[in-house]
Amino acid sequence: MDELLNTAPCGFLGFGDDGTVGLANDTLLEMLGYGREEVVGRHVEHILTVGSRIFYQTHLFPLLRLHGRAEEIFLLLRARSGESVGVLANAVRRERGGRAVYDCVVMRVRERQKFEDELLRARRVAEQARAELEAQALEMELQQQQLEEQTAELELAGEELRVINEELIEKAEEAEQLRAAAEEANRAKSTFLAVMSHELRTPLNAIAGYLQILEMGIHGPVTDAQREALGRIDRSQRHLLRLINDVLNLARIEAGRVDYLVEDVPVGEVVAAVTPMVEPQYASKGVALAAEVAPDLVARADHEKVQQVLLNLLSNAVKFTPAGGRVGVEAVRSPDAPDRLLLRVRDTGTGIPPDKLEAVFQPFVQVDVSRTRSAQGTGLGLAISRDLARGMGGDLTAESTPGEGSTFTLALPLAPEVRPGAGADGAG
Amino acid sequence: MRHDDVLVRNNVQVFGAGTRPMLFAHGFGCDQNMWRLVTPAFEDDHRIVLFDYVGSGRSDLGAYDPERYGRLDGYADDLLDVCHALDLRDVVLVAHSVSSMVAVLAANREPERFSRLVLVGPSPRYVNDPPGYVGGFERADIEGLLEMMDRNFIGWANFLAPAIMKNPDRPELGEELTASFCSTDPVIARRFAEATFFADNRDDLPRVRVPTLVLQCSDDMIAPTEVGEYVHRQIPGSTLRVLEATGHCPHMSHPEETIRAIREFLHPAGSG
Repeated sequence: MDELLNTAPCGFLGFGDDGTVGLANDTLLEMLGYGREEVVGRHVEHILTVGSRIFYQTHLFPLLRLHGRAEEIFLLLRARSGESVGVLANAVRRERGGRAVYDCVVMRVRERQKFEDELLRARRVAEQARAELEAQALEMELQQQQLEEQTAELELAGEELRVINEELIEKAEEAEQLRAAAEEANRAKSTFLAVMSHELRTPLNAIAGYLQILEMGIHGPVTDAQREALGRIDRSQRHLLRLINDVLNLARIEAGRVDYLVEDVPVGEVVAAVTPMVEPQYASKGVALAAEVAPDLVARADHEKVQQVLLNLLSNAVKFTPAGGRVGVEAVRSPDAPDRLLLRVRDTGTGIPPDKLEAVFQPFVQVDVSRTRSAQGTGLGLAISRDLARGMGGDLTAESTPGEGSTFTLALPLAPEVRPGAGADGAG
Repeated sequence: MRHDDVLVRNNVQVFGAGTRPMLFAHGFGCDQNMWRLVTPAFEDDHRIVLFDYVGSGRSDLGAYDPERYGRLDGYADDLLDVCHALDLRDVVLVAHSVSSMVAVLAANREPERFSRLVLVGPSPRYVNDPPGYVGGFERADIEGLLEMMDRNFIGWANFLAPAIMKNPDRPELGEELTASFCSTDPVIARRFAEATFFADNRDDLPRVRVPTLVLQCSDDMIAPTEVGEYVHRQIPGSTLRVLEATGHCPHMSHPEETIRAIREFLHPAGSG
């Protein structure tokens, strides 16, 4: 039996419950390089690597003890040289001679171990790849979460914007309503003024008519004292009529009831026509009036209304310029806009504070209320003039240096044939 | 967690004619079957409680949580869960190998629940920590074990089960053992091995307040005698008993001697 065991092509090992080796065949001893006495009588752990010892204690021994057998267990045996020898072990627990023994057959597994090594390596690579994939998936999940959070924030911001937008729309609607109400009120005011002006003019006409009748002595002779009184009534009546006409004009303009007769208006002619009309005023107050008009300047405008505006500007200028002062009229092409001309009235009067420059164009406004009495007027002149200027596609603006004087500029469209590059070189 | 759920999760088995609970905790690599040769001796006067840690034996693998079972604390949770589920008190806790430290952790957390600790082959740290502490292993040795496990799990799933099933002379082992014993999921087993062999529970020993028996085998390469002596020194008032038994599993290799030692610890001579 011993002979048979010793010549078997695989290692044989017998040990007891306590691990003490009772039998080892020559094949096993040769495989590991031990002498018999180095194995038999000693604990089986001595021919195991450390890892195999733990494995034996934690897995293999319990398995053998409780289940009686184990098959194809991979173990690393420790050769006498210290080298590890991979084997497959089959073991059975048997009763022999009244005590338990484990019969264990071991077979060297060089090739198989190599394959298993490769399998293990492949598995580790796969596990590593899986771990990396999982990490990447986690990362992607995180990124997705961040995206979702950002989206939520954007949605929140969008919601806020929507609310703000709705509020803005509401406000705009309110503003539109307010504007419509204001326009309606303005229209009502204009209509009222137009009607009232008409109603006021009718009795004034009667007053004027009867004044004339009285002055003509139709109802009897008129004394000098009476004639003087009638003269005062007449002046007051005319003044009142002028005021009413102003109001009526503004009301008409604002009500959009003014018609413009647009034609070519030679500016020189307008200036020549208006200056004589105001000369008496200037002469009596002692204010000099000078005009300088570039030749061949033709506006595209309503002749009568340009005249009205210029008249108003010159009347204003003399009112607010003290005696000994000077008022100049000049007409030039606009240096900024090639299709415009500028008609300026420059005075050496008291001037207008900068913060009041726009206010003078508002209806019923005069810069200095205290001056209204001395200067007389409705305060509608500039408002009307600007409306007329704009109605003709032009504008009326003011510049001033308080204490030195003011300049009012009426801008008007140039007639096409005198515009630069229009082809005609005008009158030679 | 509901109590019934714990009983299923940890495959808890309760039997015996006595009332004093005797709870057996298995070590790494096995399951509750490892106590099979010891428990019959205590059945008559104790209430025997066996269980499998989640990931071992016939526990519910679905309950496995790599976080929880990456540390021995997670295993102590299992042990205490079982105690709570059965409302165990005055418990004699018998723990093998790594379970010794699990038992220490559990006993330190709820000392009032345990009346005795029996630690079979305990080691608070397997890896050497020079100078001053010899655990018996270097990290490379543990890596060797892990490699061995890897290598055998490749074959075990295929070869082991049939081998056990055709075991003709031990019919009593039955089919249920076949399915459970050592057929642990390799990933779980590896994590348990790492939690076990890379643990350091030395600081937990002096805090033990439960009377403790340290059962030390004569020639145990996993828990050398110096380690058993260290445990005995560190646990206040503990008893050290060195067995004639060799190896690391005296309850399997030398059940009678193991039974005798436990019995003498529970019923000292003269106490009746």
